[in-house]
Amino acid sequence: MGTAAEGRNEHGEGPVAISGEAQRPGHIRIGIEDFRDEPLSGRRPLILSRNFSVYYGTAAAVRDASFDIPEKLVTAVIGPSGCGKSTFLRAINRMNDLIPRCRVEGGLSLDGQDLYSPQVDVVALRKTVGMVFQKPNPFPKSIFDNVAYGPRIHGMSDRGRLAEIVEHSLKRAALWDEVKDRLGDNALGLSGGQQQRLCIARAIAVEPKVLLMDEPASALDPRSTARIEELIAELRGEYTIVIVTHNMQQAARVSDLTAFFYEGSLIEFGETKQIFTKPRERQTEDYITGRFG
Amino acid sequence: MELKTRTMLDRSFTAVGILAIVLMALSLVVLLQPIFVRGAGAFVFRGTIEYRELRLELFGRGDAAKVKAEAALAEEARGPVYEMMEAFEDELGEMEPALRRELRGEYREVKDLIGDLLGPRPGESRPALIRGQFGRTRWDRTQATLHHILYREEYDHSDQSRMGVKILKPRSEIFAGTALEPLFGRLEADIERIMRPRWTVYWRFLFDESYDAHFFGGIWPEMLGTFYLAFGAMLFAVPLGIITAVYLAEYAGESGFVSLLRTCISSLAGVPSIVFGLFGLAFFINTVGVSSGKSVLAGSMTLALLVLPTVIRASEEAVLAVPRTYKEAAMSLGAGKWHTIVSVILPAAMPGILTSIIISLGRAAGETAPIIFTAAVSVGRPIAFWQALGQPSPALPWNIYNLATEHEAVDEIRHVQYGMVLTLVVMVLLLNLTAIIVRARISKKLRG
Amino acid sequence: MMEDRTFEHTESEIGSRLLMSRGTRRFRRLGALAGNAVLVTIASSSLIALLFIFYFIVRDAIPFFRLEGFGEFFSGTRWYPSREEAEFGAGAIFAGSALVTVGAIAVAVPMGVFAALCLSDILPFSLRQVVKPVIEMLAAIPSVVYGFFALVIFAPLLQRQGGGMLSIGALIVLVPLSLIGVAVAGDLISAHVSERGRPAARVASVVVLLSVVTYALFELHRFLGGLQIASGTNALNASIILGIMALPTIVSVSEDALNAVGRELREGSYALGATRAETLMKVIIPAARSGIFAAVILGVMRAIGETMVVWMASGNAARIPEPWFNLLEPVRTLTATIAGDMGEADHVTGSARYHVLFAMAACLLAFAFIANLASELIIRRARKRLG
Repeated sequence: MGTAAEGRNEHGEGPVAISGEAQRPGHIRIGIEDFRDEPLSGRRPLILSRNFSVYYGTAAAVRDASFDIPEKLVTAVIGPSGCGKSTFLRAINRMNDLIPRCRVEGGLSLDGQDLYSPQVDVVALRKTVGMVFQKPNPFPKSIFDNVAYGPRIHGMSDRGRLAEIVEHSLKRAALWDEVKDRLGDNALGLSGGQQQRLCIARAIAVEPKVLLMDEPASALDPRSTARIEELIAELRGEYTIVIVTHNMQQAARVSDLTAFFYEGSLIEFGETKQIFTKPRERQTEDYITGRFG
Repeated sequence: MELKTRTMLDRSFTAVGILAIVLMALSLVVLLQPIFVRGAGAFVFRGTIEYRELRLELFGRGDAAKVKAEAALAEEARGPVYEMMEAFEDELGEMEPALRRELRGEYREVKDLIGDLLGPRPGESRPALIRGQFGRTRWDRTQATLHHILYREEYDHSDQSRMGVKILKPRSEIFAGTALEPLFGRLEADIERIMRPRWTVYWRFLFDESYDAHFFGGIWPEMLGTFYLAFGAMLFAVPLGIITAVYLAEYAGESGFVSLLRTCISSLAGVPSIVFGLFGLAFFINTVGVSSGKSVLAGSMTLALLVLPTVIRASEEAVLAVPRTYKEAAMSLGAGKWHTIVSVILPAAMPGILTSIIISLGRAAGETAPIIFTAAVSVGRPIAFWQALGQPSPALPWNIYNLATEHEAVDEIRHVQYGMVLTLVVMVLLLNLTAIIVRARISKKLRG
Repeated sequence: MMEDRTFEHTESEIGSRLLMSRGTRRFRRLGALAGNAVLVTIASSSLIALLFIFYFIVRDAIPFFRLEGFGEFFSGTRWYPSREEAEFGAGAIFAGSALVTVGAIAVAVPMGVFAALCLSDILPFSLRQVVKPVIEMLAAIPSVVYGFFALVIFAPLLQRQGGGMLSIGALIVLVPLSLIGVAVAGDLISAHVSERGRPAARVASVVVLLSVVTYALFELHRFLGGLQIASGTNALNASIILGIMALPTIVSVSEDALNAVGRELREGSYALGATRAETLMKVIIPAARSGIFAAVILGVMRAIGETMVVWMASGNAARIPEPWFNLLEPVRTLTATIAGDMGEADHVTGSARYHVLFAMAACLLAFAFIANLASELIIRRARKRLG
């Protein structure tokens, strides 16, 4: 193996983004055995997209994206605003279904199961794939009720077990110590950073396998942002995390792999270290160096 | 135009605007002031010995011994009046026919009025109607009746250019020279000892039944009827309204059907209230037959139609105002659409919905036209809850109309009318105030 | 083609847990359909109710027209439904409804629009918070309370001091207006004179106009003050009270329309040096005119559909006043006739007496429906224009 067409560049390094001329756009593969660094090896691909497109009416928000997201790592999706990264993220837990004129083409699978097959139970999917939003959105309920909301709707009613789950989730989200004495208080009384960690705890409480984060720290102050990033580092290894961010430094700090979208198309995908030091594509380089926003 | 003129125009424009607002506020004051002042007179007034006797006999309230002692004192003061009347009746028998004819009619009038004032003489047979069994119970009515006794009203039409002028002729002049002449002066001087007025607080006005077509007693049947009708209306309107609002806000698209539905809702809001009443009669009673005649049930259903558009509109606004991110968060956790609505969206929309319910409650309580043909009667006993399904009931709005227009003794029960009006107004204003407080309180909770 | 060794297609627990059985799927779909059907049905209750109202009112109105025809009902003015030879000329009653409505609008629209202007552009925020409850209270007071006031308090007042009140009311309105008019006219007239003579010309014209106006107002005061009102329950009473009842509607809808015009138009006009009054009169009101028109229509609907006030305070005489604009005479409205006559007519279901009331209700319903549609169309079109 050694040709560009097969996924390696002339230097024998990989994985490689292959751009338009020789191959169909987006025709990328990660060879697991291609991972050099220790932490990245041994991870199997979990979420696979194959020529995946999302249309709002006739306009394509995501165009022909093909790449594999490995499990238990942090994958960042970056790109200028309007490039389709949030749309792609929301396609994974089918939140785009809420939008009337949205339709998809191509394949998107989780652990081998095509997510858009009619037999898929969207409710079960959303239990498996959790989401944290850009602006913290705790319910106007108590802290306890916020975290317990997910387990409750999936059938758990035992107060004792719920309390355990709430405590466990809040600990995982590094919020327990700050709120353990006031679980009955209104969640809206927390600070912005605390609210976001509460939302993370809430998402964790249903025991998902995947956590989708849509610019989770962009509405927060720098200190809270740092705490969220620490939290992501802690959660990595237990959850598969896909994080959309417009902050490149954050992507570089936090993620193992990075996908760069531009105007709906996936331009480059690879190890974060490589993307930010030696990007393959001209567009990637331009974006990273700030030549366009 | 010169700048000065333009500036003057501008200032006067502002002044006219302020004048409009002032006139509006003034009309509110002019409207409410007499209602509050005279309405209070139904609850707080100077009551006479007749009132305390009535209270004892009809309601069993008060100290029997004290009342009896007072009554004895009053009887003592009345003695001279009765004596003079008896003396005059003797005199009348011996008068010459012409004079007798002239004075007989006049005397009958005076005797009737004194009977109204003092009640039946001890020893006389009691009339069947309760109103004839007691004298004037209120001091203001006492003074009015006394005025009628002392003066005869006549109209002078001699001046053609103006309508008749009222003249008051003292009756003592009419009876000059007879045994009755000193009666008038005596009555006027002794009236306080005869009637023994005392300040009374009759807060039970709200809870007592009425006796003898509202001559005595309170307005409990009307209060109860109003409660039944208003709450019954909300019982039908609230579920229908909230579900429709949820449908419009969360499920409906922009189809032709939906815009037809919206047009219907706003058309329903514009239907005149009397048409609702006719419809209630023609449909609920005569066609569907929810009851075999007027009933609180039919009235509630009619009122529900009246308030439905308001409930729908306000609830839809409240649901739309809930931030979308709550819905997204709930759904991303795996909640289905209906579950999200019930567990997150509706609770968040509660202040708005509750406010509209409370205000519509006030509206349903105050409407008259829809219940004229469907639920309201003028007299009746307070009905029990299960009777509400098949029987009509008195209600505040209808009885205000009835007492003010069709009652036989409109002037005598003026205080009852004002009392009812005050009660209704206070009820509605309190409900509105509650709605405002509820809205402020709960939205503070939502905003943490 | 390279062998796909990159990942094994393991059907691990995650993937299969995402599936639902066929039974569950069918159950879910049926459940959603059934739930939707129930939802739509319940939501259509308003539509159904409106249809039923139309049907039942018109159904019981038709027999009247079949028995008596259309002509006499609309044009005749002899209303004797309970006589042996019953006559159903409701023309006077239609005229009565129209008269009190026009009167109510004359009271409510100027006051209401000016009040709305004040609320949207003149009053500071704190005062606005005081005025709004006043308007809400006026709106919340039940109609029978207004009717009671009109009958028991206002009518005797009108009867005793009607002339005086009318004259004071007229003066309150006319004196400021005429003073303003005189000042403006003085300016306009003196504009035709050369620069030097202008001040003198202005003084002269003001003096002349002022004396004319003073004389006119004085005569008016004498005329009105000398009026004798035979009965306090008449069209004037009903018009004034109805006007006050319609005020909250007109004020709030107009205020919404004025607020919707937006700051840019106002700023543009002020930046050109216009006074607030000029901005409001020449720019804002024309821009908001559809909303204000819709508010007036809603006020009309309120006035024409009101029952208790007119039943208690309009005098209930089915006659067209002499002359037609003489508000001091008693009149009768459609709503009061329905409310009043139904008590007796109910016992003779099937007769023309019963059905004529439904005929009146059908006319009211038709009018309200058309007026409502019109105001909706106007608002919708205005909204589209403002983008």
